[in-house]
Amino acid sequence: MRPLVFIFLIIALVVNSSRSIAQTTNYQVYALFVVNIAKYSEFPQLQGELEIASYGKSKAYDELLKQNGKNVNGHTLKVTQSDDISVLQKASVIYIADNKSNTLDEVLKATEGRPVMIICEREGLFRKGAGLSFVVTDNNTLRFDVNNAELEKRQIKISKNLTALANTIL
Amino acid sequence: MTFYNRVFLVAACTILCLRTGAQDLDSLMNLNAFTAESDLQKILNQRVAVSSKNGLTTRETPGIVSVISSEEIRNSGARDLGDLLRLVPGFDVLQDLQFVTGIGLRGSWANEGKVLVMLDGHPMNELLYQTVALGNRFPIDAISRIEIIRGPGSATYGGSAEYGVINIVTQAAESLNGVAVYATGGFHAQATGRTNAGVMVGQKGQDLSWDFSVFAGKGIVSDGKYQDLFQNGEVQDLSKVTSSDPTNINAGIRYKGLSFRGMYDRYETSDPITSVSNKGFYADLHYDWQVNKKLTIVPQIKYYNQLPWSYGDRETGETQFKVRATRFLSQVETRYAISRKASVTAGAIYFQDQGKDLLNGDLFNGEQSLRLSNFAFYGEGLFKHRLANATVGFRYEKNNRYGAAFVPRIAVTKKIENLHFKILYSQAFRAPSIQNINIALNGSVKPEKSDVFEFEVGYQFTPQMLFAVNAFVITTRDVLIYGSEGEGESFNEWYENYARSGSKGFEAIYNVRGKWWYGTVTYSYSTAGKNTVTTYEVPGQSQYVGFAKNKVTLNTNFQLLKQLSFNPSLVYASRRFAYQSIDENGEPVIGEMQPYLLVNAFLHYTNVLPGLSVGAGAYDIANQRPGIPEAYNGGYAPIPGRSREYVVKLSYQLDFKK
Repeated sequence: MRPLVFIFLIIALVVNSSRSIAQTTNYQVYALFVVNIAKYSEFPQLQGELEIASYGKSKAYDELLKQNGKNVNGHTLKVTQSDDISVLQKASVIYIADNKSNTLDEVLKATEGRPVMIICEREGLFRKGAGLSFVVTDNNTLRFDVNNAELEKRQIKISKNLTALANTIL
Repeated sequence: MTFYNRVFLVAACTILCLRTGAQDLDSLMNLNAFTAESDLQKILNQRVAVSSKNGLTTRETPGIVSVISSEEIRNSGARDLGDLLRLVPGFDVLQDLQFVTGIGLRGSWANEGKVLVMLDGHPMNELLYQTVALGNRFPIDAISRIEIIRGPGSATYGGSAEYGVINIVTQAAESLNGVAVYATGGFHAQATGRTNAGVMVGQKGQDLSWDFSVFAGKGIVSDGKYQDLFQNGEVQDLSKVTSSDPTNINAGIRYKGLSFRGMYDRYETSDPITSVSNKGFYADLHYDWQVNKKLTIVPQIKYYNQLPWSYGDRETGETQFKVRATRFLSQVETRYAISRKASVTAGAIYFQDQGKDLLNGDLFNGEQSLRLSNFAFYGEGLFKHRLANATVGFRYEKNNRYGAAFVPRIAVTKKIENLHFKILYSQAFRAPSIQNINIALNGSVKPEKSDVFEFEVGYQFTPQMLFAVNAFVITTRDVLIYGSEGEGESFNEWYENYARSGSKGFEAIYNVRGKWWYGTVTYSYSTAGKNTVTTYEVPGQSQYVGFAKNKVTLNTNFQLLKQLSFNPSLVYASRRFAYQSIDENGEPVIGEMQPYLLVNAFLHYTNVLPGLSVGAGAYDIANQRPGIPEAYNGGYAPIPGRSREYVVKLSYQLDFKK
């Protein structure tokens, strides 16, 4: 049998196979964490809506959208998304998508001194100024790391129950 | 409501709310960052220890690996290890001398020191030549898992793993907490192919675990008719003049970090004239000293005492070769987890090999014994990054006779959502064994060395389906080759280094697993590389003697009922070339062997009664009887293939109460 015949056969099988999604990142869980982190945190001077803004494109945003309009601690949850940090000035929580991780410094600068919780999709960015960043443990469970000093600078308090779940706290 | 009642109610509500909140958050604790695993993903996501000290999953481990589960082994109805290896890309079974069969891998003969075979951690490569005799040998129905590296493993495993590693783990050693018995019968139309049986018992506890197993059997090499290559003798009925009889006794005990495993293995086989016996005793004692959460130190000692390749006249029983080979090995390994994303392993080994002639007492250049001393250092580091995992390793080994060998390896692997890739470069070596050194041409041989480049890419199209393809280029230098001339008193044999050999090609695997069925399709293509080893060459062809360029396999399972499965499998190999006849001068001549298609099927019924499983099937249903050729010009005609063999299997397991 010619090698190419076999490859062709396999490709044909694959193309004809069902199109369901294989095991991939579960962004529903990321969104659930983000909402619960916001829920168990106190933001100073928060009135009206609680805005969670996704900075950059992430499938977590699609999942967060499903929570749009829900009531969180008496505030209506508003979920937005943009690639322009200047339009996210009203957000209480900015979720930095993985593909925008390199712009963390710009986000920090743009929100300096304001009570904005910055949550990063990419691991390890809590050490570079984000309030929280996600981490996937060796057994594949999702956890988060917290930079408490950074949150305190922004006058954001997270509950002890939430802190207890953190993987690492700075 | 009194003031105190109000206070109590508010406090109760607060506590309740806090508790509800805590539960709310607690539920986040065990959420998986990935979508649910399918049955296939559960297999793919298992950590594989064979190709890295750090146990990454099959799709990220730094090696091209295959894992055969106990479920696949039981369902396939495999008669022996050869049946399973034929279903693995790149593997084939070929003939060495005296009807002993061995492993061919990726188009090259790999029986002597090129594929390390381990059974519960003990290397089954004998010490004199580093070969592993296959055939009706290993307790196939007692195996829990086989992990295979289809590429070099020298940086981790040393000088017997130049082309690959096969790690066999038995059920008793790994997981059995009870008693199990099993038996296999194989029947040809005119002869009994094999009758094997075994018993194992084991108990697993947190501090104390132990196991004991015994396996024994009788079999034949083939039921075909054989005419020797030089047509000196009469046509022989191999069912009457060959044997393939295994015995294995295996025991282990672990108390906390201290483990001991001992094993006795005997395999008796024969061609029409000569009987060959391999006997070995193996002992391994080690202690996993967990110094702290990050650091583990493992001191280990091993002792092997073998009588490899003892041969003699089959009819008279007169022994013509009997050498005791021993190895004493001491080792210390240190494993340090720097962080969750970085870990290192380093070790030092000293071992001493000795060969001792038990017949005439002068085999080793007039001396009764030959002693070799070796020391080795090795190290491996794993660094995980979001873009890729990097594994860097090396091994340095020095022998008092042949000198030193240094082999580095580097691997970059990563699974990103549905895609995974592996880029691997390894050097590997084959350490000259006792006999390689003893009969070295002009008194010296060098270690054989290989450079191996591998690349794999895989994509999971659905949770039930994975397609992976890898390409490889193997360049082997200073190839250690056996040579001989003359007969009787003038017989002379030697080992010498040839300049170059190797192969290149690719392998593809399509793996699909549904609720009621699974299937694996593989394709292997290999072609000879630049080669100066004349005994491997097929003039005018780009493949080596005995090997097919193309191999296609299909292994499937259909669960007809909850307990009953039907398991057809196919192996197709394209044409091969082998020494099959002689010319007018009496010199062996290469001839073409036709492509073959092995069709097998096995019905497996589990829990007929609680713990009792039965199976029945047939191997080579089309009765194509593909012969097993020698992988070089060694004076043997291909062993005629076995005819259709009906296989019956029976097993019973009684678990201990936990």
